[in-house]
Amino acid sequence: MSSQDNVNGQAYGFQSMTPIEPGKEGELRAYLEGLDIDDSPFGKLPRTHMGRFVIVKDFYNDPSWGQKEEHLDLQYLIFTSNLDGDIDSYLDELCEVMAPEAREIWGRCVGCPENPKGAALKAYLKHNQIDCGFFYAAYGTATVPEVKAALRQRDQMIAFATRSQGLSPDELQEAFAAEFGA
Amino acid sequence: MAERVHIDLGDIQGDILRAYGNDYDCTSYAFVKIDCPPEQARAWFSGLLEHVTTAEPWKEGKPVTTLNVAVTADGLKALGVSDEVVGSFSEEFRAGMSERAVLLGDVGPSAPKSWESGLGSGDAHILLTINAQETADHEHALGKMRDAMDDAGGLSIVYQEDTQLLPGSREHFGYADGFAQPAIEGSSDSKARGGGVPLKNGAWRALAPGEFILGYPDEDTREDPKRRLPSAPLAPLGKSGTYMVWRKLYQDVARWRRVMRDAAKLYEDGDEHKLSAKVVGRWSDGTPLVTHPDALDPNFDAAGRGANDFRYDSDLDGMRCPLGAHIRRSNPRDALGFEGHLSFRHRMIRRGMPYGEELAEGVVKDDGVDRGLVFVCFQASIARQFEGVQVQWLNTGNLFGLGLDTDFILGDPGGKGKMTIQGRPPFFLSPQEVFVKTRGGEYLFVPGISALAALADGTAG
Repeated sequence: MSSQDNVNGQAYGFQSMTPIEPGKEGELRAYLEGLDIDDSPFGKLPRTHMGRFVIVKDFYNDPSWGQKEEHLDLQYLIFTSNLDGDIDSYLDELCEVMAPEAREIWGRCVGCPENPKGAALKAYLKHNQIDCGFFYAAYGTATVPEVKAALRQRDQMIAFATRSQGLSPDELQEAFAAEFGA
Repeated sequence: MAERVHIDLGDIQGDILRAYGNDYDCTSYAFVKIDCPPEQARAWFSGLLEHVTTAEPWKEGKPVTTLNVAVTADGLKALGVSDEVVGSFSEEFRAGMSERAVLLGDVGPSAPKSWESGLGSGDAHILLTINAQETADHEHALGKMRDAMDDAGGLSIVYQEDTQLLPGSREHFGYADGFAQPAIEGSSDSKARGGGVPLKNGAWRALAPGEFILGYPDEDTREDPKRRLPSAPLAPLGKSGTYMVWRKLYQDVARWRRVMRDAAKLYEDGDEHKLSAKVVGRWSDGTPLVTHPDALDPNFDAAGRGANDFRYDSDLDGMRCPLGAHIRRSNPRDALGFEGHLSFRHRMIRRGMPYGEELAEGVVKDDGVDRGLVFVCFQASIARQFEGVQVQWLNTGNLFGLGLDTDFILGDPGGKGKMTIQGRPPFFLSPQEVFVKTRGGEYLFVPGISALAALADGTAG
C-alpha cells in the first residue's frame, strides 16, 4: 500500500500499533488517563487536527458467534493522528517536542528505543505504522489554522447577528461595516 | 420479537411501568443512611417489604399510600452485599452521580460541592419513595417510616424532599410535563403511536421491555434467536430491576420570565408565548409545535392518544419546531434520519415531580423560594439512556448541526450561549442564563420484588 493511501486532501492520517511490555499496561493507562485534555501535549504540534491513544486489551469473544475463541498475547497501544501536510516533518517535530511524553508512552512498549526521541523514535513509529485502508478527514482541504480562523469568524458572525437583531437596514449596514469592514 | 414477552408485573416495583403521579398528589423522597451492622439494617429492610407496591393492576382500588424502595451502590454494601455482586452493577451506577458531574455538565453553580447536604456524598444508601393522595395520609406514612427507623436504630434520614403536583400537571416554567413516555411492549403497546419507534411506513412499534426492565430482551437482543439478555447485575438482583436517576433541579422562574419577556421584544411582535413555545417545542398546554406551529390547539388533550403522535420528517429544517427545542433534543424521534435508529436506544421512563410553591403569575422578581423539579427516570442503562441524552443531545449541539448551542432551558454556566430559532429570518435568542441548577442527585437501583426479598434475608450474594 503506498503512503498515498494515508492522504485525504492535504491531511495525512497516521496510525501505529505497538505491543505494550507485559506488566506496564496499568502504568501506561494511568499515564494516558492523567493527560490534561485542556493542555494536551499535541498542543505543541500545531499541525495536529486530532491525536488519539487507544489501548486494546484483548479480542472480544462472544460464544454465540460460534467462532474459535482467540486472545492477544500482549496488549497493544494504538496511536492515531490527523495532521496537516507531510508525515516526515511532522514526525520529526513530534519526536523532538513530545520527547518527554514519548518516554512515558512508547517507552513502555516492546522494542522502543532506549532513548525514545529524535530519529530513533521516528524510525520506531514508522516501523510500526499501519497504512489506512480508507482515511476519512473531517475537512481534508482545510489546515488547522484555517479551521480555527473559520471558527473565530463564525463566533464573530453569530455574536454580531445576535446583537444586531431589530436594527433598521441602514443601521445594520453601518454596524456590519464597523464589525467586518466595508 | 420472536415471541411475545410476558412481563411479570408482580415482580416489578410500582411507579415504573405506570406513573403514580396520575393517582397521587404528594410524593416524598427520603434518603436513608445505614450506620449499623448489615444484619441490623436488613432486619429493618425486611419490615418495609410488605408495604412495597408492585406493578400489578390494583384490583380493589388504589392504596391510600404507596412505598417503593431503591438502593445506591453504597447502600448495597451497607446491606452486606458482596463486592463481587456489587461489581456486577454498571460502572456509572457504582461511581455515583457526583463522580460523573463533569461529564453531566454539573459544573459551576451545579457542581457537587454546592449540592445539598446528604446528596452525592456517599451518605445516601436507601431511597424510600412514598406517595399519598391526602396530606394526612402522607403525614401518617412518613411518621410510620420514621418510627420504624427509630425502633431499628442506626438509621437516619440524610435528605428528604416533599413534592406536590402543580395544577394542570405543569412544571414551574408553566409547561405541561410528564405525559410523553416510551411505549413498552407487553405493557403500554396502545401508546406506540408517538411513544414507540417510528417506522418508515408511517407505523410505530413499542420498545422492547428490556430497555427499561432488566431480565427481558432489549432492542439489541429482541431478534436474537439465542435469546441473550442485556447485561444485568448477578442473579437474583438483576431480575425485574431497573436503574433510577434522581436529580433535584432548581428552577429560577423569575429569571426565566425576565429573559423571555425581554427577548420577545425583538421577536414576532413581542409574542412571548410563541417564543417560549419555540424553546420548549410545545405550547404551554402540551400542543406540539411541529403539528401546530402558529397557535395551541384548544382541543389538545395531553392524556389523549394523539398527544405525542408526531414526527419531524416534515420539519427537517426546524421551521415549525426549532432544531434545538428542548423536546426535540431530548427525543429526536426520526429527526436524525436512519428511521429513528440513532434515537430509540436512548429513551427513558420519566417520573418527575415539582417541588416548592409556585411563583405567582406575572411576578418577575425572585422571591427566594426554593422551587423546581425532582427529575426521576428509569432505564436499563444509565450511561446509554440518561447520560446519553444529557451529554450528547442536551449539552452539545454537534449532532443536530447546532455547533456549541446547549439546551436553552438547562442553561449555560459560561454565559455565552444562545439558541437559534429557525425562521425567515432566523431569530437568535439570548442571553442564555442559568435557569436550572442541579442541587443534588443520586444514581440508584430499583430491585424487583424477589430481589428485595433476597437483599432483606442476606441471600443476594
